[in-house]
Amino acid sequence: MPTLLAYCLLFTVVGVGFILVHLLIGKIVRPAKPEPEKLAVYECGEPTIGTSWVQFDLRFYVIALLFVIFEVEVAFFFPWAVVFGKLNALGDAGLDEASRQQVVQALVPPHVEGAAQSAAEMADVAVTLGWIALADILVFFGVLLVGYAYLWRRGDLNWVRSVEEEVKTWRQVGAEPPPELLKPPAVEVAQGA
Amino acid sequence: MSLLVTFVIIVVVMTAILGINSYLILLERKTAAWIQDRVGPNRVGFDLGLPFLKRLTGGFHFWGLGQPIADGLKFLFKEQVVPAHVDKVLYFVAPCVAVITALLSFAVVPFGPTPTSANPDVFPFVIAPNIDIGIVFVFAVSSLAVYAIILGGWASNNKYSMIGALRSSAQIISYEIPLGLSILVVAMMTGSLNLEKIVARQAEDGFFGWNIWFQPLAWLIFFTAALAETNRLPFDLPECEQELVGGFHTEYSAIKFVMFFLGEYTHMITVSYLTAILFFGGWHFPFIAEGDSTYPGATAVKILVLAGKAALFIFFIMVLRWSLPRFRYDQLMRLAWIVLIPLGLLNLVFAMFVRHWELSRWWLLPISVVLFVAAGLIGTLVSTQEKRVIGHAHQA
Repeated sequence: MPTLLAYCLLFTVVGVGFILVHLLIGKIVRPAKPEPEKLAVYECGEPTIGTSWVQFDLRFYVIALLFVIFEVEVAFFFPWAVVFGKLNALGDAGLDEASRQQVVQALVPPHVEGAAQSAAEMADVAVTLGWIALADILVFFGVLLVGYAYLWRRGDLNWVRSVEEEVKTWRQVGAEPPPELLKPPAVEVAQGA
Repeated sequence: MSLLVTFVIIVVVMTAILGINSYLILLERKTAAWIQDRVGPNRVGFDLGLPFLKRLTGGFHFWGLGQPIADGLKFLFKEQVVPAHVDKVLYFVAPCVAVITALLSFAVVPFGPTPTSANPDVFPFVIAPNIDIGIVFVFAVSSLAVYAIILGGWASNNKYSMIGALRSSAQIISYEIPLGLSILVVAMMTGSLNLEKIVARQAEDGFFGWNIWFQPLAWLIFFTAALAETNRLPFDLPECEQELVGGFHTEYSAIKFVMFFLGEYTHMITVSYLTAILFFGGWHFPFIAEGDSTYPGATAVKILVLAGKAALFIFFIMVLRWSLPRFRYDQLMRLAWIVLIPLGLLNLVFAMFVRHWELSRWWLLPISVVLFVAAGLIGTLVSTQEKRVIGHAHQA
Protein backbone atom coordinates (compact mmCIF):
# COMPACT_ATOMS: atom_id res chain seq x y z
CA MET A 1 0.00 0.00 0.00
CA PRO A 2 2.75 2.54 0.81
CA THR A 3 4.22 2.04 -2.68
CA LEU A 4 0.84 2.81 -4.20
CA LEU A 5 0.72 5.99 -2.16
CA ALA A 6 4.22 6.85 -3.33
CA TYR A 7 3.11 6.44 -6.95
CA CYS A 8 0.12 8.69 -6.36
CA LEU A 9 2.34 11.31 -4.76
CA LEU A 10 4.80 11.05 -7.63
CA PHE A 11 2.03 11.64 -10.15
CA THR A 12 0.69 14.62 -8.23
CA VAL A 13 4.09 16.21 -7.67
CA VAL A 14 5.17 15.86 -11.29
CA GLY A 15 1.82 17.15 -12.54
CA VAL A 16 1.65 20.19 -10.29
CA GLY A 17 5.36 20.91 -10.75
CA PHE A 18 4.99 20.73 -14.51
CA ILE A 19 2.17 23.30 -14.52
CA LEU A 20 3.84 25.62 -12.03
CA VAL A 21 7.19 25.62 -13.85
CA HIS A 22 5.54 26.71 -17.07
CA LEU A 23 3.47 29.40 -15.40
CA LEU A 24 6.47 30.63 -13.42
CA ILE A 25 8.81 30.90 -16.42
CA GLY A 26 6.11 32.83 -18.23
CA LYS A 27 5.62 35.12 -15.27
CA ILE A 28 9.34 35.92 -15.04
CA VAL A 29 10.07 36.69 -18.66
CA ARG A 30 6.94 38.43 -19.91
CA PRO A 31 6.09 42.11 -19.64
CA ALA A 32 3.03 43.34 -17.71
CA LYS A 33 1.60 46.70 -18.72
CA PRO A 34 -2.09 46.68 -17.84
CA GLU A 35 -4.32 49.45 -19.18
CA PRO A 36 -8.05 49.98 -18.64
CA GLU A 37 -8.82 49.36 -22.33
CA LYS A 38 -6.78 46.18 -22.36
CA LEU A 39 -8.57 44.85 -19.31
CA ALA A 40 -12.04 45.49 -20.65
CA VAL A 41 -14.37 42.71 -21.81
CA TYR A 42 -13.61 41.68 -25.37
CA GLU A 43 -16.73 42.05 -27.42
CA CYS A 44 -15.32 43.04 -30.78
CA GLY A 45 -15.07 46.72 -29.84
CA GLU A 46 -18.67 47.14 -28.74
CA PRO A 47 -19.23 48.55 -25.27
CA THR A 48 -20.41 45.76 -22.97
CA ILE A 49 -23.97 45.74 -21.71
CA GLY A 50 -24.39 43.93 -18.42
CA THR A 51 -22.56 40.94 -17.04
CA SER A 52 -22.56 37.56 -18.72
CA TRP A 53 -23.32 35.75 -15.47
CA VAL A 54 -26.99 35.43 -16.28
CA GLN A 55 -29.55 32.67 -16.53
CA PHE A 56 -28.89 30.37 -19.45
CA ASP A 57 -31.14 28.38 -21.71
CA LEU A 58 -33.05 25.63 -19.93
CA ARG A 59 -32.31 23.16 -22.71
CA PHE A 60 -28.72 22.81 -21.53
CA TYR A 61 -30.08 21.81 -18.15
CA VAL A 62 -32.35 19.17 -19.67
CA ILE A 63 -29.39 17.71 -21.56
CA ALA A 64 -27.42 17.56 -18.32
CA LEU A 65 -30.26 15.67 -16.63
CA LEU A 66 -30.49 13.17 -19.48
CA PHE A 67 -26.75 12.72 -19.33
CA VAL A 68 -26.83 11.81 -15.66
CA ILE A 69 -29.36 9.04 -16.29
CA PHE A 70 -27.66 7.52 -19.31
CA GLU A 71 -24.14 7.87 -17.98
CA VAL A 72 -25.03 6.00 -14.81
CA GLU A 73 -26.51 3.30 -16.99
CA VAL A 74 -23.31 3.01 -19.03
CA ALA A 75 -21.34 2.86 -15.79
CA PHE A 76 -23.55 -0.04 -14.66
CA PHE A 77 -22.85 -1.86 -17.89
CA PHE A 78 -19.06 -1.79 -17.53
CA PRO A 79 -18.65 -4.44 -14.79
CA TRP A 80 -21.32 -6.56 -16.43
CA ALA A 81 -19.59 -6.42 -19.82
CA VAL A 82 -16.34 -7.72 -18.34
CA VAL A 83 -17.81 -10.92 -16.88
CA PHE A 84 -20.60 -11.49 -19.38
CA GLY A 85 -20.31 -14.73 -21.34
CA LYS A 86 -17.87 -16.33 -18.93
CA LEU A 87 -20.64 -18.32 -17.27
CA ASN A 88 -21.42 -19.97 -20.57
CA ALA A 89 -17.81 -21.03 -20.90
CA LEU A 90 -18.20 -22.60 -17.47
CA GLY A 91 -21.39 -24.30 -18.58
CA ASP A 92 -19.40 -26.38 -21.03
CA ALA A 93 -18.92 -29.62 -19.04
CA GLY A 94 -16.06 -30.76 -21.28
CA LEU A 95 -13.89 -27.80 -20.30
CA ASP A 96 -10.39 -28.80 -19.21
CA GLU A 97 -9.47 -28.18 -15.58
CA ALA A 98 -6.89 -25.43 -16.12
CA SER A 99 -9.12 -23.12 -18.14
CA ARG A 100 -12.01 -23.91 -15.79
CA GLN A 101 -9.96 -22.69 -12.84
CA GLN A 102 -9.04 -19.59 -14.82
CA VAL A 103 -12.68 -18.69 -15.47
CA VAL A 104 -13.64 -19.43 -11.86
CA GLN A 105 -10.87 -17.15 -10.65
CA ALA A 106 -12.08 -14.36 -12.93
CA LEU A 107 -15.66 -14.73 -11.72
CA VAL A 108 -15.40 -15.54 -8.03
CA PRO A 109 -13.61 -13.24 -5.59
CA PRO A 110 -10.86 -15.15 -3.70
CA HIS A 111 -12.51 -14.92 -0.27
CA VAL A 112 -15.77 -16.57 -1.38
CA GLU A 113 -16.04 -20.26 -0.49
CA GLY A 114 -17.83 -22.98 -2.38
CA ALA A 115 -16.00 -22.56 -5.66
CA ALA A 116 -14.53 -26.05 -5.36
CA GLN A 117 -17.41 -27.99 -6.90
CA SER A 118 -17.03 -30.69 -9.49
CA ALA A 119 -17.07 -29.66 -13.14
CA ALA A 120 -20.42 -31.29 -13.91
CA GLU A 121 -22.18 -29.72 -10.92
CA MET A 122 -20.76 -26.34 -11.80
CA ALA A 123 -21.78 -26.62 -15.44
CA ASP A 124 -25.45 -27.02 -14.50
CA VAL A 125 -25.45 -24.06 -12.14
CA ALA A 126 -23.50 -21.94 -14.61
CA VAL A 127 -25.96 -22.49 -17.45
CA THR A 128 -28.89 -21.52 -15.23
CA LEU A 129 -27.05 -18.48 -13.91
CA GLY A 130 -26.09 -17.45 -17.44
CA TRP A 131 -29.73 -17.40 -18.49
CA ILE A 132 -30.73 -15.45 -15.38
CA ALA A 133 -28.00 -12.91 -16.11
CA LEU A 134 -29.21 -12.50 -19.68
CA ALA A 135 -32.82 -12.06 -18.55
CA ASP A 136 -31.75 -9.56 -15.89
CA ILE A 137 -29.83 -7.38 -18.28
CA LEU A 138 -32.62 -7.54 -20.85
CA VAL A 139 -35.09 -6.27 -18.23
CA PHE A 140 -32.65 -3.47 -17.40
CA PHE A 141 -32.41 -2.66 -21.10
CA GLY A 142 -36.18 -2.72 -21.39
CA VAL A 143 -36.69 -0.24 -18.56
CA LEU A 144 -34.09 2.00 -20.09
CA LEU A 145 -35.61 1.86 -23.55
CA VAL A 146 -39.04 2.74 -22.17
CA GLY A 147 -37.49 5.82 -20.61
CA TYR A 148 -35.73 6.65 -23.84
CA ALA A 149 -38.90 6.28 -25.87
CA TYR A 150 -40.72 8.54 -23.41
CA LEU A 151 -38.04 11.24 -23.80
CA TRP A 152 -38.17 11.00 -27.56
CA ARG A 153 -41.94 11.20 -27.60
CA ARG A 154 -41.97 14.17 -25.24
CA GLY A 155 -39.59 15.97 -27.58
CA ASP A 156 -36.79 16.36 -25.07
CA LEU A 157 -34.32 15.05 -27.61
CA ASN A 158 -35.21 17.77 -30.14
CA TRP A 159 -33.07 20.86 -29.85
CA VAL A 160 -35.34 23.13 -31.86
CA ARG A 161 -39.00 23.13 -30.90
CA SER A 162 -41.12 25.69 -32.65
CA VAL A 163 -44.38 23.85 -32.29
CA GLU A 164 -46.67 26.45 -33.80
CA GLU A 165 -44.71 26.74 -37.04
CA GLU A 166 -44.42 23.00 -37.31
CA VAL A 167 -48.16 22.42 -37.01
CA LYS A 168 -48.81 25.06 -39.66
CA THR A 169 -46.41 23.53 -42.16
CA TRP A 170 -47.65 19.99 -41.57
CA ARG A 171 -51.14 21.21 -42.49
CA GLN A 172 -49.88 23.08 -45.55
CA VAL A 173 -48.28 19.92 -46.87
CA GLY A 174 -51.68 18.32 -46.45
CA ALA A 175 -50.73 15.90 -43.70
CA GLU A 176 -52.12 15.61 -40.21
CA PRO A 177 -49.46 16.76 -37.69
CA PRO A 178 -48.26 14.23 -35.10
CA PRO A 179 -50.51 14.31 -32.02
CA GLU A 180 -47.83 15.51 -29.59
CA LEU A 181 -47.70 18.83 -31.45
CA LEU A 182 -51.40 19.41 -30.95
CA LYS A 183 -51.34 19.23 -27.18
CA PRO A 184 -52.62 22.41 -25.53
CA PRO A 185 -49.89 24.85 -24.47
CA ALA A 186 -48.70 24.48 -20.90
CA VAL A 187 -49.66 28.01 -19.86
CA GLU A 188 -53.29 28.88 -20.54
CA VAL A 189 -54.76 32.34 -20.34
CA ALA A 190 -57.30 32.60 -17.55
CA GLN A 191 -60.81 32.86 -18.98
CA GLY A 192 -63.38 35.43 -17.99
CA ALA A 193 -61.36 36.96 -15.19
CA MET B 1 13.91 1.53 -8.20
CA SER B 2 10.63 1.13 -10.00
CA LEU B 3 9.53 4.51 -8.65
CA LEU B 4 12.53 6.01 -10.40
CA VAL B 5 11.68 4.17 -13.62
CA THR B 6 8.13 5.49 -13.43
CA PHE B 7 9.43 9.00 -12.87
CA VAL B 8 11.69 8.76 -15.91
CA ILE B 9 8.86 7.40 -18.05
CA ILE B 10 6.53 10.19 -16.94
CA VAL B 11 9.07 12.88 -17.75
CA VAL B 12 10.01 11.35 -21.10
CA VAL B 13 6.38 10.83 -22.14
CA MET B 14 5.32 14.31 -21.05
CA THR B 15 8.19 15.97 -22.86
CA ALA B 16 7.57 13.85 -25.94
CA ILE B 17 3.87 14.70 -25.94
CA LEU B 18 4.56 18.41 -25.61
CA GLY B 19 7.15 18.32 -28.40
CA ILE B 20 4.85 16.31 -30.63
CA ASN B 21 2.01 18.71 -29.83
CA SER B 22 3.92 21.73 -31.04
CA TYR B 23 4.89 19.95 -34.24
CA LEU B 24 1.32 18.74 -34.70
CA ILE B 25 0.29 22.37 -34.90
CA LEU B 26 2.83 22.86 -37.68
CA LEU B 27 1.58 19.68 -39.37
CA GLU B 28 -1.96 20.96 -39.09
CA ARG B 29 -1.04 24.25 -40.75
CA LYS B 30 0.89 22.44 -43.47
CA THR B 31 -2.06 20.09 -44.06
CA ALA B 32 -4.41 23.05 -44.30
CA ALA B 33 -2.09 24.73 -46.79
CA TRP B 34 -1.77 21.54 -48.82
CA ILE B 35 -5.56 21.08 -48.99
CA GLN B 36 -6.20 24.73 -49.83
CA ASP B 37 -3.38 24.82 -52.40
CA ARG B 38 -1.20 27.23 -50.45
CA VAL B 39 2.42 26.94 -49.33
CA GLY B 40 1.96 27.14 -45.57
CA PRO B 41 4.54 28.21 -43.00
CA ASN B 42 7.98 27.81 -44.61
CA ARG B 43 9.95 30.87 -43.50
CA VAL B 44 11.09 30.27 -39.92
CA GLY B 45 14.12 28.01 -39.82
CA PHE B 46 16.18 27.14 -36.79
CA ASP B 47 17.69 30.65 -36.78
CA LEU B 48 14.31 31.92 -35.52
CA GLY B 49 14.94 35.16 -37.40
CA LEU B 50 17.84 36.14 -35.14
CA PRO B 51 20.77 37.69 -37.05
CA PHE B 52 23.60 35.89 -35.22
CA LEU B 53 21.94 32.49 -35.66
CA LYS B 54 21.26 33.27 -39.29
CA ARG B 55 25.01 33.38 -39.97
CA LEU B 56 25.36 29.88 -38.44
CA THR B 57 22.61 28.27 -40.50
CA GLY B 58 23.51 30.20 -43.64
CA GLY B 59 19.95 31.55 -44.00
CA PHE B 60 18.48 28.12 -44.83
CA HIS B 61 14.79 27.89 -43.90
CA PHE B 62 14.49 24.16 -43.08
CA TRP B 63 10.97 24.11 -44.60
CA GLY B 64 9.54 26.06 -41.66
CA LEU B 65 10.55 23.51 -39.05
CA GLY B 66 11.56 26.28 -36.64
CA GLN B 67 8.01 27.60 -36.50
CA PRO B 68 6.87 25.64 -33.39
CA ILE B 69 9.93 26.78 -31.42
CA ALA B 70 9.35 30.40 -32.40
CA ASP B 71 5.66 30.06 -31.49
CA GLY B 72 6.50 28.61 -28.10
CA LEU B 73 8.96 31.39 -27.32
CA LYS B 74 6.46 33.97 -28.48
CA PHE B 75 3.80 32.62 -26.13
CA LEU B 76 6.26 32.83 -23.23
CA PHE B 77 7.34 36.40 -23.95
CA LYS B 78 3.93 37.84 -24.81
CA GLU B 79 2.15 39.91 -22.22
CA GLN B 80 -0.58 38.02 -20.42
CA VAL B 81 -3.72 40.10 -20.14
CA VAL B 82 -5.86 39.06 -17.19
CA PRO B 83 -9.02 41.10 -17.70
CA ALA B 84 -10.32 43.10 -14.76
CA HIS B 85 -13.75 41.51 -14.71
CA VAL B 86 -12.88 37.82 -14.39
CA ASP B 87 -13.25 35.46 -11.46
CA LYS B 88 -9.52 35.30 -10.66
CA VAL B 89 -9.30 31.88 -9.01
CA LEU B 90 -11.37 29.92 -11.51
CA TYR B 91 -9.73 31.80 -14.38
CA PHE B 92 -6.41 30.42 -13.18
CA VAL B 93 -7.68 26.91 -12.41
CA ALA B 94 -9.38 26.24 -15.75
CA PRO B 95 -6.32 25.93 -18.05
CA CYS B 96 -4.53 23.86 -15.40
CA VAL B 97 -7.44 21.41 -15.32
CA ALA B 98 -7.41 21.27 -19.12
CA VAL B 99 -3.79 20.26 -19.39
CA ILE B 100 -3.73 17.99 -16.31
CA THR B 101 -6.73 15.90 -17.34
CA ALA B 102 -5.39 15.55 -20.86
CA LEU B 103 -1.99 14.34 -19.68
CA LEU B 104 -3.39 12.17 -16.89
CA SER B 105 -5.63 10.19 -19.21
CA PHE B 106 -2.52 9.10 -21.11
CA ALA B 107 -1.22 7.38 -17.94
CA VAL B 108 -2.83 4.00 -18.67
CA VAL B 109 -2.49 4.07 -22.45
CA PRO B 110 0.28 1.68 -23.56
CA PHE B 111 2.50 3.24 -26.22
CA GLY B 112 4.54 0.13 -26.92
CA PRO B 113 4.61 -3.60 -26.14
CA THR B 114 3.64 -4.66 -22.63
CA PRO B 115 4.13 -8.01 -20.86
CA THR B 116 1.77 -10.76 -22.02
CA SER B 117 1.41 -14.40 -21.08
CA ALA B 118 3.49 -15.34 -24.13
CA ASN B 119 6.19 -12.72 -23.46
CA PRO B 120 6.15 -12.08 -19.72
CA ASP B 121 9.46 -10.21 -19.36
CA VAL B 122 8.95 -7.38 -21.81
CA PHE B 123 9.52 -3.92 -20.42
CA PRO B 124 6.07 -2.34 -19.94
CA PHE B 125 5.80 0.71 -22.18
CA VAL B 126 3.04 2.39 -20.22
CA ILE B 127 3.20 4.90 -17.38
CA ALA B 128 0.94 2.98 -14.99
CA PRO B 129 1.22 -0.71 -15.92
CA ASN B 130 -1.46 -3.32 -15.35
CA ILE B 131 -4.37 -1.12 -14.35
CA ASP B 132 -7.44 -3.34 -14.49
CA ILE B 133 -9.93 -0.52 -14.92
CA GLY B 134 -7.81 0.88 -17.80
CA ILE B 135 -10.32 2.18 -20.28
CA VAL B 136 -12.75 3.34 -17.59
CA PHE B 137 -9.95 5.42 -16.12
CA VAL B 138 -9.33 7.14 -19.47
CA PHE B 139 -13.04 7.62 -19.86
CA ALA B 140 -13.45 9.11 -16.37
CA VAL B 141 -10.44 11.42 -16.43
CA SER B 142 -10.97 12.74 -19.92
CA SER B 143 -14.56 13.61 -19.11
CA LEU B 144 -13.24 15.83 -16.33
CA ALA B 145 -11.99 18.06 -19.17
CA VAL B 146 -15.48 19.47 -19.37
CA TYR B 147 -14.78 21.25 -16.08
CA ALA B 148 -11.88 23.11 -17.67
CA ILE B 149 -14.12 24.39 -20.41
CA ILE B 150 -17.11 25.36 -18.30
CA LEU B 151 -14.93 26.96 -15.58
CA GLY B 152 -12.87 28.86 -18.15
CA GLY B 153 -15.96 30.06 -19.97
CA TRP B 154 -17.80 31.06 -16.84
CA ALA B 155 -14.84 32.72 -15.10
CA SER B 156 -14.09 34.86 -18.16
CA ASN B 157 -17.34 36.79 -17.68
CA ASN B 158 -17.55 37.27 -21.41
CA LYS B 159 -20.63 36.46 -23.46
CA TYR B 160 -18.74 34.65 -26.19
CA SER B 161 -16.93 32.53 -23.62
CA MET B 162 -20.13 31.74 -21.77
CA ILE B 163 -21.98 30.63 -24.90
CA GLY B 164 -18.98 28.60 -26.04
CA ALA B 165 -18.63 26.92 -22.67
CA LEU B 166 -22.32 26.00 -22.45
CA ARG B 167 -22.38 24.59 -25.95
CA SER B 168 -19.22 22.69 -25.33
CA SER B 169 -20.34 21.12 -22.08
CA ALA B 170 -23.67 20.02 -23.54
CA GLN B 171 -21.84 18.59 -26.54
CA ILE B 172 -19.21 16.75 -24.52
CA ILE B 173 -21.65 15.16 -22.11
CA SER B 174 -23.99 14.14 -24.93
CA TYR B 175 -21.23 12.38 -26.87
CA GLU B 176 -19.87 10.67 -23.80
CA ILE B 177 -22.75 8.18 -23.86
CA PRO B 178 -22.19 6.80 -27.39
CA LEU B 179 -18.47 6.76 -26.59
CA GLY B 180 -19.13 4.58 -23.55
CA LEU B 181 -21.49 2.29 -25.47
CA SER B 182 -18.93 1.66 -28.20
CA ILE B 183 -16.20 0.90 -25.67
CA LEU B 184 -18.54 -1.49 -23.84
CA VAL B 185 -18.76 -3.75 -26.87
CA VAL B 186 -14.97 -4.01 -27.05
CA ALA B 187 -14.78 -4.69 -23.30
CA MET B 188 -17.40 -7.40 -23.65
CA MET B 189 -15.60 -9.12 -26.54
CA THR B 190 -12.29 -9.10 -24.68
CA GLY B 191 -13.67 -9.74 -21.20
CA SER B 192 -11.40 -7.10 -19.76
CA LEU B 193 -11.11 -3.34 -19.41
CA ASN B 194 -7.34 -3.48 -19.26
CA LEU B 195 -5.91 -1.85 -22.39
CA GLU B 196 -2.84 -4.09 -22.33
CA LYS B 197 -5.04 -7.19 -22.30
CA ILE B 198 -7.17 -5.81 -25.11
CA VAL B 199 -4.06 -5.44 -27.27
CA ALA B 200 -2.68 -8.82 -26.22
CA ARG B 201 -5.94 -10.53 -27.16
CA GLN B 202 -5.92 -8.99 -30.64
CA ALA B 203 -2.23 -9.80 -31.12
CA GLU B 204 -2.86 -13.44 -30.21
CA ASP B 205 -5.54 -13.79 -32.87
CA GLY B 206 -3.42 -12.17 -35.57
CA PHE B 207 -4.46 -9.74 -38.28
CA PHE B 208 -8.00 -11.09 -38.51
CA GLY B 209 -8.36 -10.79 -34.75
CA TRP B 210 -8.31 -7.00 -34.80
CA ASN B 211 -11.54 -5.70 -33.33
CA ILE B 212 -12.24 -3.60 -36.42
CA TRP B 213 -13.24 -6.78 -38.28
CA PHE B 214 -16.00 -7.53 -35.79
CA GLN B 215 -16.93 -4.04 -34.72
CA PRO B 216 -16.71 -1.56 -37.61
CA LEU B 217 -19.85 0.12 -36.32
CA ALA B 218 -18.47 0.51 -32.80
CA TRP B 219 -15.34 2.02 -34.35
CA LEU B 220 -17.40 4.55 -36.31
CA ILE B 221 -19.39 5.51 -33.21
CA PHE B 222 -16.23 5.70 -31.12
CA PHE B 223 -14.37 7.85 -33.60
CA THR B 224 -17.30 10.23 -34.18
CA ALA B 225 -17.92 10.65 -30.47
CA ALA B 226 -14.21 11.08 -29.81
CA LEU B 227 -14.01 13.84 -32.40
CA ALA B 228 -16.84 15.61 -30.61
CA GLU B 229 -15.12 15.08 -27.25
CA THR B 230 -11.94 16.71 -28.50
CA ASN B 231 -13.91 19.64 -29.95
CA ARG B 232 -12.46 19.06 -33.39
CA LEU B 233 -14.20 19.99 -36.59
CA PRO B 234 -16.88 19.13 -37.70
CA PHE B 235 -17.83 19.38 -34.01
CA ASP B 236 -15.94 22.56 -33.07
CA LEU B 237 -19.00 24.59 -32.08
CA PRO B 238 -17.50 25.64 -28.73
CA GLU B 239 -14.92 27.73 -30.54
CA CYS B 240 -16.32 28.45 -33.96
CA GLU B 241 -14.43 31.57 -34.95
CA GLN B 242 -17.13 33.03 -37.16
CA GLU B 243 -19.69 33.25 -34.36
CA LEU B 244 -17.88 33.21 -31.05
CA VAL B 245 -14.42 34.75 -31.69
CA GLY B 246 -12.49 32.14 -29.69
CA GLY B 247 -15.31 30.50 -27.75
CA PHE B 248 -14.46 29.58 -24.18
CA HIS B 249 -10.87 30.83 -24.46
CA THR B 250 -11.65 34.27 -25.88
CA GLU B 251 -10.26 36.06 -22.81
CA TYR B 252 -7.18 33.87 -22.43
CA SER B 253 -3.76 34.92 -23.65
CA ALA B 254 -0.10 33.90 -23.51
CA ILE B 255 0.78 30.73 -21.60
CA LYS B 256 -2.76 30.05 -20.35
CA PHE B 257 -4.04 30.02 -23.90
CA VAL B 258 -1.28 27.56 -24.79
CA MET B 259 -2.38 25.30 -21.97
CA PHE B 260 -5.87 25.00 -23.46
CA PHE B 261 -4.29 24.23 -26.79
CA LEU B 262 -1.98 21.62 -25.30
CA GLY B 263 -5.00 20.02 -23.67
CA GLU B 264 -6.83 19.79 -26.98
CA TYR B 265 -3.91 18.38 -28.93
CA THR B 266 -2.98 15.90 -26.17
CA HIS B 267 -6.56 14.73 -26.24
CA MET B 268 -6.21 14.20 -29.95
CA ILE B 269 -3.09 12.07 -29.44
CA THR B 270 -4.82 10.01 -26.73
CA VAL B 271 -7.85 9.43 -28.92
CA SER B 272 -5.69 8.31 -31.82
CA TYR B 273 -3.74 5.90 -29.63
CA LEU B 274 -6.98 4.55 -28.18
CA THR B 275 -8.43 4.00 -31.64
CA ALA B 276 -5.33 2.07 -32.64
CA ILE B 277 -5.39 0.05 -29.41
CA LEU B 278 -9.09 -0.73 -29.16
CA PHE B 279 -9.85 -1.47 -32.79
CA PHE B 280 -6.66 -1.77 -34.84
CA GLY B 281 -4.58 -4.27 -32.91
CA GLY B 282 -2.32 -1.88 -30.99
CA TRP B 283 1.31 -2.67 -31.72
CA HIS B 284 0.40 -5.79 -33.69
CA PHE B 285 1.13 -5.87 -37.39
CA PRO B 286 1.29 -8.99 -39.56
CA PHE B 287 4.78 -10.43 -40.11
CA ILE B 288 6.84 -7.56 -38.67
CA ALA B 289 5.30 -7.16 -35.20
CA GLU B 290 3.62 -10.39 -34.13
CA GLY B 291 2.98 -11.33 -30.52
CA ASP B 292 5.90 -13.78 -30.53
CA SER B 293 8.40 -11.88 -32.65
CA THR B 294 11.57 -11.50 -30.61
CA TYR B 295 14.18 -10.53 -33.21
CA PRO B 296 16.54 -7.73 -32.14
CA GLY B 297 14.80 -4.40 -32.44
CA ALA B 298 11.32 -5.95 -32.30
CA THR B 299 10.39 -3.69 -29.39
CA ALA B 300 11.33 -0.57 -31.32
CA VAL B 301 9.37 -1.81 -34.33
CA LYS B 302 6.30 -2.39 -32.15
CA ILE B 303 6.52 1.09 -30.66
CA LEU B 304 6.89 2.54 -34.16
CA VAL B 305 3.95 0.49 -35.52
CA LEU B 306 1.66 1.78 -32.77
CA ALA B 307 2.92 5.35 -33.21
CA GLY B 308 2.46 5.02 -36.96
CA LYS B 309 -1.14 3.87 -36.57
CA ALA B 310 -1.83 6.73 -34.17
CA ALA B 311 -0.17 9.20 -36.56
CA LEU B 312 -2.45 8.00 -39.35
CA PHE B 313 -5.51 8.73 -37.24
CA ILE B 314 -4.18 12.14 -36.24
CA PHE B 315 -3.64 12.94 -39.90
CA PHE B 316 -7.13 11.67 -40.69
CA ILE B 317 -8.60 13.99 -38.03
CA MET B 318 -6.70 16.91 -39.56
CA VAL B 319 -7.83 16.15 -43.09
CA LEU B 320 -11.40 15.87 -41.79
CA ARG B 321 -11.09 19.34 -40.32
CA TRP B 322 -10.40 20.85 -43.73
CA SER B 323 -12.90 18.70 -45.60
CA LEU B 324 -16.15 18.86 -43.66
CA PRO B 325 -18.30 21.87 -42.81
CA ARG B 326 -19.34 22.52 -39.24
CA PHE B 327 -22.55 21.03 -37.85
CA ARG B 328 -25.46 23.18 -36.81
CA TYR B 329 -26.18 22.83 -33.11
CA ASP B 330 -29.51 21.05 -33.43
CA GLN B 331 -27.97 18.62 -35.94
CA LEU B 332 -25.16 17.97 -33.50
CA MET B 333 -27.54 17.14 -30.67
CA ARG B 334 -29.71 15.02 -32.90
CA LEU B 335 -26.72 13.03 -34.13
CA ALA B 336 -25.81 12.19 -30.55
CA TRP B 337 -29.21 11.46 -29.06
CA ILE B 338 -31.27 10.15 -31.94
CA VAL B 339 -28.66 8.43 -34.10
CA LEU B 340 -25.59 7.37 -32.15
CA ILE B 341 -27.18 6.27 -28.88
CA PRO B 342 -29.82 3.94 -30.39
CA LEU B 343 -27.21 2.56 -32.79
CA GLY B 344 -24.81 1.96 -29.93
CA LEU B 345 -27.49 0.25 -27.84
CA LEU B 346 -28.59 -2.01 -30.70
CA ASN B 347 -24.99 -2.91 -31.43
CA LEU B 348 -24.49 -3.79 -27.78
CA VAL B 349 -27.59 -5.98 -27.69
CA PHE B 350 -26.51 -7.92 -30.78
CA ALA B 351 -22.99 -8.35 -29.43
CA MET B 352 -24.57 -9.62 -26.21
CA PHE B 353 -26.60 -12.26 -28.08
CA VAL B 354 -23.57 -13.37 -30.08
CA ARG B 355 -21.60 -13.73 -26.88
CA HIS B 356 -24.36 -15.50 -24.97
CA TRP B 357 -24.98 -18.18 -27.57
CA GLU B 358 -21.26 -18.39 -28.28
CA LEU B 359 -21.71 -17.82 -31.99
CA SER B 360 -18.74 -17.04 -34.19
CA ARG B 361 -17.48 -13.48 -33.79
CA TRP B 362 -17.78 -13.07 -37.54
CA TRP B 363 -21.56 -12.75 -37.15
CA LEU B 364 -20.92 -9.26 -35.84
CA LEU B 365 -19.50 -8.00 -39.15
CA PRO B 366 -22.71 -8.41 -41.20
CA ILE B 367 -24.77 -7.21 -38.20
CA SER B 368 -22.68 -4.02 -38.04
CA VAL B 369 -23.02 -3.41 -41.77
CA VAL B 370 -26.78 -4.01 -41.74
CA LEU B 371 -27.27 -1.68 -38.75
CA PHE B 372 -25.18 1.02 -40.43
CA VAL B 373 -27.02 0.78 -43.76
CA ALA B 374 -30.42 0.72 -42.03
CA ALA B 375 -29.53 3.80 -39.98
CA GLY B 376 -28.38 5.58 -43.13
CA LEU B 377 -31.58 4.73 -45.02
CA ILE B 378 -33.88 5.78 -42.17
CA GLY B 379 -31.89 8.98 -41.69
CA THR B 380 -32.14 9.87 -45.38
CA LEU B 381 -35.88 9.17 -45.48
CA VAL B 382 -36.57 11.28 -42.39
CA SER B 383 -34.46 14.20 -43.54
CA THR B 384 -36.03 14.17 -47.03
CA GLN B 385 -39.46 14.38 -45.45
CA GLU B 386 -38.31 17.22 -43.24
CA LYS B 387 -36.86 19.10 -46.19
CA ARG B 388 -40.26 18.87 -47.84
CA VAL B 389 -41.89 20.40 -44.76
CA ILE B 390 -39.31 23.16 -44.46
CA GLY B 391 -39.43 23.87 -48.19
CA HIS B 392 -43.19 24.41 -47.97
CA ALA B 393 -42.70 26.76 -45.03
CA HIS B 394 -40.38 28.90 -47.15
CA GLN B 395 -42.76 29.03 -50.08
CA ALA B 396 -45.70 30.02 -47.92
